[in-house]
Amino acid sequence: MNRTFIRVVDLYKRFGDVVALDGVTLDIFFNEILVVLGENGSGKSTLAKVLYGVYVPDRGKIIVDGSEARFSSPFDAKKKGFVMISQRPQLIDDLSILENIALFIGEPPSGTLAKRIEDFLKRFDIGIDVHKKVFSISYTEKQFIELAKALLINPRLLIVDEAATYLPQDLKTKFFEILRRFVSDNRAVIYITHKIPEALEIGNRFVVLRRGKVARVFNGAANPSELRHAMFGTEEYLKLVSRQLLQRLSKDSKNVLSVDKLVVLDDYGKTAVDGLSIDVRAGEIVSIVGVAGNGEKELGEAIAGLRKASSGSVKIDGFDVTKSPPSERTRKGLVYIPEDPFKEGTAVTLSIIENMRMYARERLSQDVVLDAIKKLGIVPENPAIQVSKLSGGNVQKVSISRLLLTMPKVVVAHNPTRMLDERSRALVLDILQRFSLSGGGVLLITEDVDEAVQISDKVAVMVDGRIAKLFEGGNLESFRSEIEKAMVHG
Amino acid sequence: MARIVVVKRVLPPSLSILTRFLTAFIGFLIAVYITSVATGLGFSETLRTAFESFLDLNVFRYISVFLPIALGLAIAFNANLWNLGAEGQLVMGAVGATYIALFTPLGKMDYIAPIASLAFAAIIGLLWALIPSVMRLYLGVNEAVTTLLMNYIAYYFSSYLVKGPWRGRGVYGYTTTDMIPDASKLPVVPGYSFSWYIVVTAFVLVAIVYLLLYKTRFGISLRALSSSIAAVELAGISSKRLALAAFCISGAFAGFVGGAEILVYHRKLVEGSIVGSGMGFTSIMVAWLGGLNPIGIVISSYYTAALYRLSFALQIGSAAIGDALAKSIIGTLFAATIVAEFVSKYKIVVR
Repeated sequence: MNRTFIRVVDLYKRFGDVVALDGVTLDIFFNEILVVLGENGSGKSTLAKVLYGVYVPDRGKIIVDGSEARFSSPFDAKKKGFVMISQRPQLIDDLSILENIALFIGEPPSGTLAKRIEDFLKRFDIGIDVHKKVFSISYTEKQFIELAKALLINPRLLIVDEAATYLPQDLKTKFFEILRRFVSDNRAVIYITHKIPEALEIGNRFVVLRRGKVARVFNGAANPSELRHAMFGTEEYLKLVSRQLLQRLSKDSKNVLSVDKLVVLDDYGKTAVDGLSIDVRAGEIVSIVGVAGNGEKELGEAIAGLRKASSGSVKIDGFDVTKSPPSERTRKGLVYIPEDPFKEGTAVTLSIIENMRMYARERLSQDVVLDAIKKLGIVPENPAIQVSKLSGGNVQKVSISRLLLTMPKVVVAHNPTRMLDERSRALVLDILQRFSLSGGGVLLITEDVDEAVQISDKVAVMVDGRIAKLFEGGNLESFRSEIEKAMVHG
Repeated sequence: MARIVVVKRVLPPSLSILTRFLTAFIGFLIAVYITSVATGLGFSETLRTAFESFLDLNVFRYISVFLPIALGLAIAFNANLWNLGAEGQLVMGAVGATYIALFTPLGKMDYIAPIASLAFAAIIGLLWALIPSVMRLYLGVNEAVTTLLMNYIAYYFSSYLVKGPWRGRGVYGYTTTDMIPDASKLPVVPGYSFSWYIVVTAFVLVAIVYLLLYKTRFGISLRALSSSIAAVELAGISSKRLALAAFCISGAFAGFVGGAEILVYHRKLVEGSIVGSGMGFTSIMVAWLGGLNPIGIVISSYYTAALYRLSFALQIGSAAIGDALAKSIIGTLFAATIVAEFVSKYKIVVR
């Protein structure tokens, strides 16, 4: 029944001082969706990239259909029928959808190809003009174009590196359906993720990586608790995220952040934030939840000063900063954790310790740095390592480390945990809660309703650039389904 | 089927440095071989000439130009600011130093004269660099273009001075100013054309720039600018102020060198293109060759200075052939350096 399709034998890959894969051996069978799970920095993405020919392993073999395959570029891998879709869409913004796909599959961008793409997308209820330039379509659409692009060359192995992780739930379900149908016919999917629920939803078998080694293989059923133990060696961290309830708010605590009738445009000049007002008091955690594309990104950027406000105002600790550059807002007591740690959160060409020195106003001792690394579980623990060598989740942790190194009055965080594994997520939510307990204000802009209801005092639902509904008081978890409904229907 | 592929690799720092040196050395031997074939001079004879250039004390004449300018440029380039105007900043620094030495009472005061001249040279270099940086930061004008073009303004400004208002009274037909007073001159090492004062200052600057770039929040943020301006801003540091500072420092260093050229080498102001003679441009390359790292720049400025010496050594005798040969040797050596860079980052595999 379980015929072997691909054998990965003793793969070893290091980047300078960082060992990413430390002797990984595993089998991939025909007709299966093999989930590769692991905490941030466990080597998942490196494994995917080795299989797709992006990296050449230092040692070890990849055996396909019984004979060794050597890839020195994705081009080689593609010839063997291997295709990868990753977290960040690999499309050329200035070309049309049709041109992008034509380029990838090596055909002229003809009318027949356009027809084939449209038919393909229609099967999944996606109606989109394939002559549109890629920069004008949404993230979700891009990911489906990536999927179409990959499937149109009729691959045998599809490597999905967290490509569905950030999709809204209904579309994720659709994405998964496509994957399930795909593996039926002597093919396979390797699905890489750090999210346990997602893994259980899609996987047939599970391989858990830890620090570059295979920690455990689950042939068949697995339960969350076992997976957690294999991934982290513990599930103690789950206790961190329980509501350390209110009482902390005194009635007269003042606003540390006031956003008043804010209007912000998106990159194409359309109104993204439409006269939104919200206040955050000292000691309070306020969440803004919304489906991506409803203006949350622009709201966060306008509060941070990375994007201009067309009208309205932003006040930090009573000071009007609407016209100030980001640096001045930070000096006034704001800490903004951007969604993309690579582009805005860190300087990737610098080391971990250098980034931390940049965040902190005072000189940092080595001890403080090591302590922050330990508290956030940054892997590897060596502060002299260049940030670009870290995995995505660990880059995000470096970006978040500023919370431990500075004394802000208010924190605005945009999807701070979405790149993080379950344990790191718990650590970060705990840091946010402690910060509010010590009298700081938090504005959490997130797609993750779970974390919003778990740690917030108020949850505002954002739809079309406005607050559609505000939930507060009592047990917010009981409003969960109402919140989700409001996110979709306004 | 065997084929050749290029694969990325990451070497540990020590091996990476060793690889670069070895590759550069092999390139050096190739260059020497080509020369000996072209000139009919024996291989060992040519090798000796080449080695002599590297051991000649006069490399300091060029090191004292390349090293400070490249250090300043490294600060700007690390911040992703394209200051291509070191040549002009050098020339303007020379103008500034000449002004103090020749036209103010300070120029005749012992000890004070050189210090005042060099300080003013640095200030003028800084101001010259300030113009394009303000245009970049507040008007969005590309600094690469403005700094490049301002070099020629500096050239012509200096030439105007020596042909017009500052033309010396005792210079006959030459377009120069009068000699600067003795009090302003910096003593050269007998038999050579450099001053230990400037060389020592240059090495002090190496230490200062190193500490600045790697040990201070200012320097770290400056280096962060090239990967993300937003990250620097969000850390609470004004990216504009950083950029302005980086530009000003690089201008000041180039200006200082211009002043030193007057006090040590020319001892009068000459036409702009002669003061600069392209060394400000060469310094751009020196900075990159040194990997924008102060220690690396010490090595690259020595290397480049030795090549300058070598090209003069080869010119002796048949001028035309010597010049062409000198250029081809320098070209070979730089090509080897680029190969070294490649070899340290990639490996070639036959499978």
